[in-house]
Amino acid sequence: MVETATRNDPNIYAVEEYSVQVEPYYLPIADEVALFETAYKERIPVLLKGPTGAGKTRFVEYMAYRLGRPITKVSDRTGESAEHRMPLITVACHEDLTASDLVGRYLLDINGTRWVDGPLTRAVKVGAICYLDEVVEARKDTTVLIHPLTDYRRLLPIEKLGQVVEATDGFLLVISYNPGYQSALKDLKHSTRQRFIAIEFGYPPRDQEAKIIVHEAGCSLEQATDLAKLGEKVRNLREHGLGEGVSTRLLVYAGRLMASGIAPRRACQVAITWALTDDVEVQRSIEEVVTSIFE
Amino acid sequence: MSIVGDLIARNHERLSGFPAPLLQHYEAGLRALQPRLTASQLQIWSETGVELTSLSLRSWEAAVEYFKAGAQLPETMTWDAIENLGRESVTMAGESAPLAVSFLRSAPAALKAVGPSHVRQWADLGRRLYKGNWKSSSLAAQFYDLGPALFEVMRMSQAARLVLFIDELSRHSYELASACMASAPAVMKKLDEDDRLPFLGFAVELAQSSWADSRLYFERGAALLQKVHAPLRERFVLLSAQVARGHNRSAFQYFEEAAEALAELEPDEHNQVIELAEQLAPYSPFAAMDFVTSVPRVLTRIRVDELEPWHAAGLKILMASHDGGEAYFRLQSTRGEDILDTLSARVELSKVGEILRLYCKALTGKNLSVQTTGSLAEKGIGWVDEHRSSTEGTTIFLPELMEKYAEKDENFASMKVFATHQAAHIEFGSFEFAWDRPGNLLGNSRESYALPAGVSATTDMERFFDLFPDRQLASDLYTIVEDSRIDGAIKREYGGIRRPLGRMQAAELVNRPDVRQMPLRQAFVENLVRASLDSLDSVRWPKERAETMGQALGLLREVGVPQAIVEDAAEVTMRLYQLAIAIPNVFENADIDWDSVEPMEPGQGGQMAPGEQGGEGGSPQMGDVGEGDQEYQSPQEVDFRGDFKPELVQLLMKLKQDAQGGDAGQMSPVPLTPEQLAELLEKSVEINLDSLMEGDLDASTGMFMSNLMKEAGQQTKDQSQKGDPTTDSSTGEEPGEEPLMPIVTVYYYDEWDFRAQDYKPRWCAVKESKLEQGEEGFYENALREHAGLVAQTRKQFELMKPEMFRKIKKLPDGEDFDLDAAIEWMIERRAGANPSDKIYWRRNKIDRDVAVAFLIDMSASTDEEINKREKKYDDDDYDDDPRKYLSWWVSKRRQELTSPPKRIIDLEKESTVLLMTALETIGDQYGIYGFSGYGRDNVEFFVIKDFDEHLDQPIKNRLDKITPIRSTRMGPAIRHATHKLQLTDAKVKILFLLSDGRPQDHGYGRDRTEKEYAIHDTKQALNEAKREGITPFALTVDRAGHDYLKTMCEDMGYEVVADIESLPSRLPTLYRRLTE
Repeated sequence: MVETATRNDPNIYAVEEYSVQVEPYYLPIADEVALFETAYKERIPVLLKGPTGAGKTRFVEYMAYRLGRPITKVSDRTGESAEHRMPLITVACHEDLTASDLVGRYLLDINGTRWVDGPLTRAVKVGAICYLDEVVEARKDTTVLIHPLTDYRRLLPIEKLGQVVEATDGFLLVISYNPGYQSALKDLKHSTRQRFIAIEFGYPPRDQEAKIIVHEAGCSLEQATDLAKLGEKVRNLREHGLGEGVSTRLLVYAGRLMASGIAPRRACQVAITWALTDDVEVQRSIEEVVTSIFE
Repeated sequence: MSIVGDLIARNHERLSGFPAPLLQHYEAGLRALQPRLTASQLQIWSETGVELTSLSLRSWEAAVEYFKAGAQLPETMTWDAIENLGRESVTMAGESAPLAVSFLRSAPAALKAVGPSHVRQWADLGRRLYKGNWKSSSLAAQFYDLGPALFEVMRMSQAARLVLFIDELSRHSYELASACMASAPAVMKKLDEDDRLPFLGFAVELAQSSWADSRLYFERGAALLQKVHAPLRERFVLLSAQVARGHNRSAFQYFEEAAEALAELEPDEHNQVIELAEQLAPYSPFAAMDFVTSVPRVLTRIRVDELEPWHAAGLKILMASHDGGEAYFRLQSTRGEDILDTLSARVELSKVGEILRLYCKALTGKNLSVQTTGSLAEKGIGWVDEHRSSTEGTTIFLPELMEKYAEKDENFASMKVFATHQAAHIEFGSFEFAWDRPGNLLGNSRESYALPAGVSATTDMERFFDLFPDRQLASDLYTIVEDSRIDGAIKREYGGIRRPLGRMQAAELVNRPDVRQMPLRQAFVENLVRASLDSLDSVRWPKERAETMGQALGLLREVGVPQAIVEDAAEVTMRLYQLAIAIPNVFENADIDWDSVEPMEPGQGGQMAPGEQGGEGGSPQMGDVGEGDQEYQSPQEVDFRGDFKPELVQLLMKLKQDAQGGDAGQMSPVPLTPEQLAELLEKSVEINLDSLMEGDLDASTGMFMSNLMKEAGQQTKDQSQKGDPTTDSSTGEEPGEEPLMPIVTVYYYDEWDFRAQDYKPRWCAVKESKLEQGEEGFYENALREHAGLVAQTRKQFELMKPEMFRKIKKLPDGEDFDLDAAIEWMIERRAGANPSDKIYWRRNKIDRDVAVAFLIDMSASTDEEINKREKKYDDDDYDDDPRKYLSWWVSKRRQELTSPPKRIIDLEKESTVLLMTALETIGDQYGIYGFSGYGRDNVEFFVIKDFDEHLDQPIKNRLDKITPIRSTRMGPAIRHATHKLQLTDAKVKILFLLSDGRPQDHGYGRDRTEKEYAIHDTKQALNEAKREGITPFALTVDRAGHDYLKTMCEDMGYEVVADIESLPSRLPTLYRRLTE
């Protein structure tokens, strides 16, 4: 059924067929692009570390696009230029995500049962980048799958079928993880984390962040700089009342509101102050920073 | 023969039986009256006297006084009055001769004062006091005796009121009545004529409601009443009387406090206050009086014209609920506090301090604290101004309150500007001046200058100032330049604050002195201040010197660009100094033309290069003050910029570094010697030791230095110890060791007043400290004693340990098919039915995620021995036989010595031990706390085991120290335990309260016997806990517990353990049931 949908509606893809077709905007802060490219070339799994909204997901999309870009354009028989694309399968992990959610399961059919591959199996088969977002959230049984896939074996065991799938050459596992949660329960096990190289994502420096905001929100550079400044100040409040600093994403939201004509102070209030915390006192403090920066 | 002789002769016989004076006085009286009275009148007068002698055994004494008075009667006294006097005397003597004696003895003088026509009224008043017994007789006699003195100061109507009061009082205490009577003349004398009746009116009410206070009232009332604006005193007293009429025991207290409060106000404000109070009185006279009492405190927060809205809001509450309104006007309600807050335009640092602290932290990215300027001055480390904001690098000091403007927002805005400026000093590196770092714009010319010989500098800032012979001038210039740089940076970085900052600059300019009235060098500096306030147009300078000023203004502009750093400010200061020192500090001629000046571009107009002015020995030097100058005065301070002391801040930072370096045992820079410090203090113009303290300079220097050292040392410890800011004892403890003195942390909680249906704000102070360690072995002994129970409990709890995963079937989605369900699905499908698609199973993780706080009642009542009740039966054993009793007693003593009797607390402790082992088995998070205390300011909260502590030996030892202490104020203890539970992230939170009786404490209710208040507060606290998602459970060993626990725990769990001995086995069972 899925396959039919794919053919009829251009906006619906089978998981493994989705690839990033338009270049996502990504502003490299350091050498992360080169690192990832090398890691991909060497098929070393990658762990992306960083606070929420720092651009981890965007980075993976960007890299998928970059890696999928053909070195040379080859015309196929039909004469259309066929681009080589890098499929990207993203799975947002949650507390109840089990190994079978990733590997696949039997579904009932009119005639009995039918096996359906899970996203990870599909990625392994087609050679996609499989991005497990917030991997610590998932059940611990997922490690059973991650471990053999991330060392030299590159194997995915499918217990229920009694099969082992060898990963196609293009496959790479990328996981992300937010150390900010700081909950002992939600920490990544060492046996797991030592299978990845880790790229750290911090918040970008003020100028760069302003550039990102301008691009994403379409507001003026001045507004974007002020927003980046605000971001920097609010991040100073981390630990003290704020679990996490304000993400670039939120700053972009505020920028978009401003670009659409919402008064800056109000835009910051709804996109930043209220979004960040329910603590009245901290809200008030952020508000004061906002009113100091924006007129 | 004259009528006199005739009468004497006639009465001689009847009077001669009495002592001689009788006859003598009769004769004298007769003679004195003869000219005023007719013969028949004289005869009646005589007859009356004779009649007096015959009334009783001692009534002749009254007759003596009667005759004696005859000679002294006031001239104005008519025959009618005299006759009345006689008649009254006879009546009185018939009842009590001594009374009549007093009456007659005082009569002449008293009647003279009050007017002879009042004879009967006066007599009646005294008689009213006379009740036929000797005490009342002497009181009445006292009244007559005091007659002359009383009537000297009061009229008959007032005396009548006095008697009313004394009479009322005498019902309760003759002694008190007599004492008040004795003081009456003096008291009355103190009062204004018009005030006496009202004063006495209140006295009467007081005598009825709380007679014991009458003496106080008589002693102090007059003086208190004087504090009230004269025309309003009567109304005020009437208000007070209404309180008394409510049979309130504390009427006098109300009166006293209200009067004292009025004394704090201006007399012309009294009218409004009383008027407003009178509006409240019909609803509650107490509220009216409380209102008066509260006005001065309220007026410190709101303006006089805001009093009415505050009153109106309270009146509304009062109309709805008396208790609510009373609490409101007593300033004991949260609602009242909120309304005051809204009304008040004033901004208090205590309210906004936390917001500003976070704000400054956001701005600077540093962990700053915010404190009042007063606390900085108190430290005695060089800052003396108690009002101007400042910073010493780690703390921002702001004024305690801001009420300059009529609007709250504006007041807050100016507080924020203050804070921003100080934070900006830190953010933009005002204190990071480094001697050898070149400025971004102006490089480094400092090093080309020769430092004066023989001075050594500890800090870079100090070395910089050492360059200048006139250090004060240099310091002033540097302050202007650096503040200007900072303000520039603020305006650039924080667009939103530009406007309020601009407003404050404008306000500052209005108050600046006129430059034309100053000697030139000062005018130069003043012009720079003005320019730094963005007001070039207000610069005025003699035309022919325009170039110097122009150069200076151009230089100042240099630091306004984004690249300018603190070293650039220093460079600019050096150049400005050279310009300034070249200007003579003299007054210009009056006819000189002062004009505005345009800033020049640097390098324009022949500006000298740094170091151009040659000194001897090659290296250039900074100039010194010329001859014939006026003494240089620093410019007037710029208010919003506060106190800027870079030299001192750098010194403090260095001291702190030394202290820290020493602690960490690292390579520490050479620490400061006292000599160096002393030298610095002497040089620096930032510290004015004279104003620090008067007297011996050496002593004050020493004190100052030790303060500084202390500050530096303490700071480092504060930073390493991340705790609640209200920790009030800091001990230099080694990690891992228990401190000698327990660290007490104070928390404040509201308390629920069920009458007012409102919280009393910040009412209780909960003092949290770790319980000290007791002897080792208690824990182990308890385990040994209950070994059987321990094993049993442990087993039970082990069974409770959850399986990590549980298979849940019949789910719409899951890990795999549930085979049974799948087969069923197939069958139904084949049969043509519509099968349920719930055919999957999934393993669900069962987390046991429980946090429990045990709250143990450590009140004195837990000291009770458990077998006390049984003892009663024992008592019968000895049947009044002393020998039996002795042997019983001895055996009991022996038993007590070998094993002391168990008290409730002992069982509480042992049960806790048992439960702890159980909890350790199951792995729940738990905290164990004890509470006790006395009064709302002293709720003691003992930590036996905190949530994040592990059960180790010290904690086991602490258990031993659980002992009965004082009262049981449960509410705040529950609130604090709730707070602790909130800090944990467990899914299930339980608050377990273990007590031995109802909550009670000093001031926990209207009086000692009231129970409702405490119970309601406790209930409210439990409700609050519930609202936070905590499950409260109360367990009591009080057999009478059912009645109040029912109210207290309405819909919550509770249990009364009737048989105390079963507590150790009961507690774990209960807990298990609670969490299963």
